[in-house]
Amino acid sequence: MNHSIETENLSLWYGDFQALIDVNVKIPDGQITSLIGPSGCGKTTLLRCFNRVNERYGNVTTEGKIEILGKNIYDPDVSLPELRKAVGMVFQRPNPLPISVYENILFGLRIHSPMRSLTRTESDQIVEEALTSVFLWEDLKDKLKARATSLQLEQQQKLCIARLLPLKPKIILMDEPCSALDAKGTLAVEELMEVLAGTYTFLIVTHNMAQARRVSEECIFMFLGELIEHRETQALFDEPKHEKTADYVQMRYG
Amino acid sequence: MNAMTTRAERKQKFVLQGIPFIIFGIAAIPIWKALKKTDAADMQVVSPNVLSMLLNDLYILLSVSCLAILLGIVCAFYLEEWLPKNNWARRLIESHVAILTSIPSTLYGILAISIFFSYAGTLKVIDGAPPAQNTESIPFQRNTTLFCGEVLTFIFMVTPVTIKTTQEALRSVATPVREAVFALGASQWQVLRQHVVPIAFIRILAGGCRAMSRAFATAALLIGIYIWYDTTDAGGMSGRFILFLAVSLFLSVFSSSLTEVYDSDLTQRS
Repeated sequence: MNHSIETENLSLWYGDFQALIDVNVKIPDGQITSLIGPSGCGKTTLLRCFNRVNERYGNVTTEGKIEILGKNIYDPDVSLPELRKAVGMVFQRPNPLPISVYENILFGLRIHSPMRSLTRTESDQIVEEALTSVFLWEDLKDKLKARATSLQLEQQQKLCIARLLPLKPKIILMDEPCSALDAKGTLAVEELMEVLAGTYTFLIVTHNMAQARRVSEECIFMFLGELIEHRETQALFDEPKHEKTADYVQMRYG
Repeated sequence: MNAMTTRAERKQKFVLQGIPFIIFGIAAIPIWKALKKTDAADMQVVSPNVLSMLLNDLYILLSVSCLAILLGIVCAFYLEEWLPKNNWARRLIESHVAILTSIPSTLYGILAISIFFSYAGTLKVIDGAPPAQNTESIPFQRNTTLFCGEVLTFIFMVTPVTIKTTQEALRSVATPVREAVFALGASQWQVLRQHVVPIAFIRILAGGCRAMSRAFATAALLIGIYIWYDTTDAGGMSGRFILFLAVSLFLSVFSSSLTEVYDSDLTQRS
């Protein structure tokens, strides 16, 4: 099986605090993998490593190797815009840009292409495709000019996924994408992920174990910066090998 | 709460915000009349070249404050977007900006008079001697020192306020959305140009206008004091007073209506 993300002895420090300790992980291609663990265990940090947004906070030291699509992303010849184009990210709270729905979807593309290189028909088509693949086209086709921040939260989060698609990413990172949504919104986003998996590799951080169980094929359990267990979801939940995993999935703490 | 401002709403708001402008316009008519009046006996403002002199003043002060505002904006961008949070230079500049903005603007004016104007030798307020009445020395005569003083005072007054307001405008752009733009692969420059500046623009502009308004108000106030001090009013001071006051009033009304009308849910969204 192919792996789209591979890390080797990945360690990360925020100043003096070591947030990740020798993480070795291989994330399979075209599947949904979930990251679980108690708060502060480094799930989000690990996720943020994969498109190097961590570096923006300053005071971050990284050691080890991360290979994405066979390329070490800490090599000096890696272009950050290209990396972030290939590895999209969805955040905890829906954060569409305060511009129209239409422009939101084209925003990423406009960043990566020269000025005025998109024709009107091309962009119309791109917007339609992106919205169709997240099942928003029917709802929003008459509201393309509406400001994205005026949509319902669920639609906003779907739009945040849709705006990644024109960039044709290989991997989509999700940082608790449903924590701000209600049950219906969560279901809609989960269904969407299931449809899109295959085309894209999903890595999702979640606090909601039921969600991890529902959507993901593989599951990674982390504890205090260390990767404890990485197995198929069903196996991890039913017969955890590690004591800590067992305690966590049986909700004794966390 | 964060309902989108529709075009109609914005229009309505704009009309409502227009009311201060109308009031200002009505107030401006007598000012304009006073400026146009040519009867020298009636009002001392009026000598044939007073209007051109006033325009000259306005031109210089406006261009100087535009430069000062630009300086302030550039400085604020550098502080806010490039310098790290706990940088010593940032701390130094920010504390000085805080001190400079907290000084009442009248003090700047008095400083300007006492330091810069006294060097010009035309206005002897400091010694308590009455200003010269002969024709050779006209009060507030424009010479190099005086001009430099004017420029420096304006820069001192306008720049710190602009730095402060611009920084606030930049901070008001929501961080999560900024992160999203970064995660889409934008460079620092693209984030600023395509995302932050369009959102914060109106606030930055309004901040600049407010700073300028403050400076003009102080100038007007000082000229007012001067008129009270020297009743003969040889240099068209009352014209200047009215002009500066009017410009200040206009700018302050303009800046507040800018933020009211356009600064809708772009920056603050819960």
